[in-house]
Amino acid sequence: MNLLRLRIEPADGVPFLRDLDRPELVLGRSSKTDVVINDRFLSRVHARIVQRGDEWLLEDMGSRNPTRLNGQPVMSPSALKAGDVILLAESRVIVEGPGGAVAPPADTAGLPAQSDDTLRGSTIFRSASTFFAPEAVAAEVKDPLARSLAERLKFLNEVHRALAGPITLEALLELILERAFAHLQPDEGAVFLRRADGGFDRAASRRLPGASGDLLYSRRLAEEVADKGMAALVTDAGIDERFARAESIVVSGVRSLVAAPLLASEGSHGMIVLSARQRARPFGEEDMELLAALASAAALRIRNLALAEETAQRRLLDKELDLARDIQMGMLPRAFPTSPELGIAATLRPARTVGGDLYDVVEEGPHVWFIVGDVSGKGVGAALFMAVTKTLFRAIAPGEASVGAALTRLNRELARDNERSMFVTAFAARLDRPSGTLEYTNAGHSPTYRLEAGGSIGTLPGPVDPALGAVEEHEYRTSVVRLDPGDGLVAYTDGVVEARNAAGGELAPAGLEAYLRGCGDARPEAIVRGLVEKVEEFAGETPQYDDVTVLALRYRAGA
Amino acid sequence: MEISEERGDGAMVMAPSGRLDSVTSNELEKHVVARIDAGDRRLVLDMAGVEYISSAGLRVLLMAAKRLKDPPAALVLCGLGPSVRTVLELAGFLPLFVIVPARKDALARLRGGA
Repeated sequence: MNLLRLRIEPADGVPFLRDLDRPELVLGRSSKTDVVINDRFLSRVHARIVQRGDEWLLEDMGSRNPTRLNGQPVMSPSALKAGDVILLAESRVIVEGPGGAVAPPADTAGLPAQSDDTLRGSTIFRSASTFFAPEAVAAEVKDPLARSLAERLKFLNEVHRALAGPITLEALLELILERAFAHLQPDEGAVFLRRADGGFDRAASRRLPGASGDLLYSRRLAEEVADKGMAALVTDAGIDERFARAESIVVSGVRSLVAAPLLASEGSHGMIVLSARQRARPFGEEDMELLAALASAAALRIRNLALAEETAQRRLLDKELDLARDIQMGMLPRAFPTSPELGIAATLRPARTVGGDLYDVVEEGPHVWFIVGDVSGKGVGAALFMAVTKTLFRAIAPGEASVGAALTRLNRELARDNERSMFVTAFAARLDRPSGTLEYTNAGHSPTYRLEAGGSIGTLPGPVDPALGAVEEHEYRTSVVRLDPGDGLVAYTDGVVEARNAAGGELAPAGLEAYLRGCGDARPEAIVRGLVEKVEEFAGETPQYDDVTVLALRYRAGA
Repeated sequence: MEISEERGDGAMVMAPSGRLDSVTSNELEKHVVARIDAGDRRLVLDMAGVEYISSAGLRVLLMAAKRLKDPPAALVLCGLGPSVRTVLELAGFLPLFVIVPARKDALARLRGGA
């Protein structure tokens, strides 16, 4: 026969213990009963517990407030077992196995209700202490406190070992819940992770078969636990004011809840919440402490996983930017028109970040059109604007009456629907090969140098019109010079003159001019290569954030 | 970069200071867009505290001018240091803006246009 004892928690008194030491025990408010319970809502004679064979049966004695066993009204005599909870009006009676802990006085909930290994039946009604005390340890360590500490260490050791290996976030969360279920026996559990916007996602959840209703989540709980980093123990969420006021909490039938923050050094990643509706006994402080320890072990790992994911995402982004860069570079011509009158060469040396430099060379009969441009800003937006500019130039320029007319059209196309007001500075020109006549337009770009056959250098004169894309209607002007045989031209982007060295200095126009003066009658390919080398030499190991683009031509002779 | 704001004479004066590069320009853009979206139709950008402006900074100025063009309103630039003026000039943008020497001139200009 079961040796059971009762732990009585009167509504209006201190808890006390009573062994089931006779075949019949009557419980009620009357002093004539065997177990007098101080609760003004109790009937004088409320219920009784009678022995029948191997069992103890609980029977309601026609009380005004029906007796409940584990939440269910007792309609007929019901068998009791360790871990059961009897509700008599507002008082609670907990059925314990033999050797149960003596209740410290004046505590109303969460006392470790000890049970023994004679327990049978539903997991739901086992008291938590059994999970801290598997048989092996329970046999060796008699002292309940020492036993629970030993078990807790064992549990945490297990968790740490499990978390040590490589693991995905999903697997990690599953593991945490699995451990929490094995040791704390909730009905439901969930891990909530904080989103970037401060809200929470239910990243993982678990529920016992038959557990009903939604998992507990309330903003209030999230504030207390995830935001303030507090572990929470709510012994009866249905009546706990703090949570009853919460907007989204599901209060019906909730009996007990324990929650702990996923706390890492830089803050909280979220929280883990366990709830029990049908548990024999509410969660206790021990459960809360254990969950907090589990959560902190998990938080460190979650943080590392988050960092790893961030790194992986950055790598993916870098890869995409590299791809954008490759596509961009692929758009630029490598081979240039060759003719006896003209040699032309160009190159773009990309910066670390995706930029928006461009060049192009287009033949149209005796004419050669070319452009060197630099889109404002960096990144994918600049790369796209560069691609559009280059494509439009190639489509628009041939056939236009003048360079100014071509850029007027190009500008109109670029400025239309240009919500972000991106723009591209450009030097565009058309050379008539037979005559050496060069028409050109400067749209907000660095001045182009002319290398005269005699060795002197100078910038091409003329007005500066707005960079392309800035304003929708603008008539771009055209300047004209006539190149002499042997003359060279060098157009470039800011990356050349704004190249930086370790000392923070810039190559500057002076550095560019010094180089150009030394070019003599070098071929365009040599001028381009030499200037890029000059920039690289100047910059050394200092990373450059601007593309470097150079276009050079040498006019040899008229027809 | 810091941005100070001051409202007076029916105009919103925004004074960025420091470097207007590709990073800080985004911040200025957000402020300017927020002001315009909130209904400010007369904007003064006092550039006296700006040491350096990149093409990204120019883009923000263009964007502000474009946003205030329709429906008609006004953007006035003032306090341009030599380096800022040079960058605007090199990009061919000087003719695109109303530029006056100082903040009081900008406010007078906006009053006159009222």
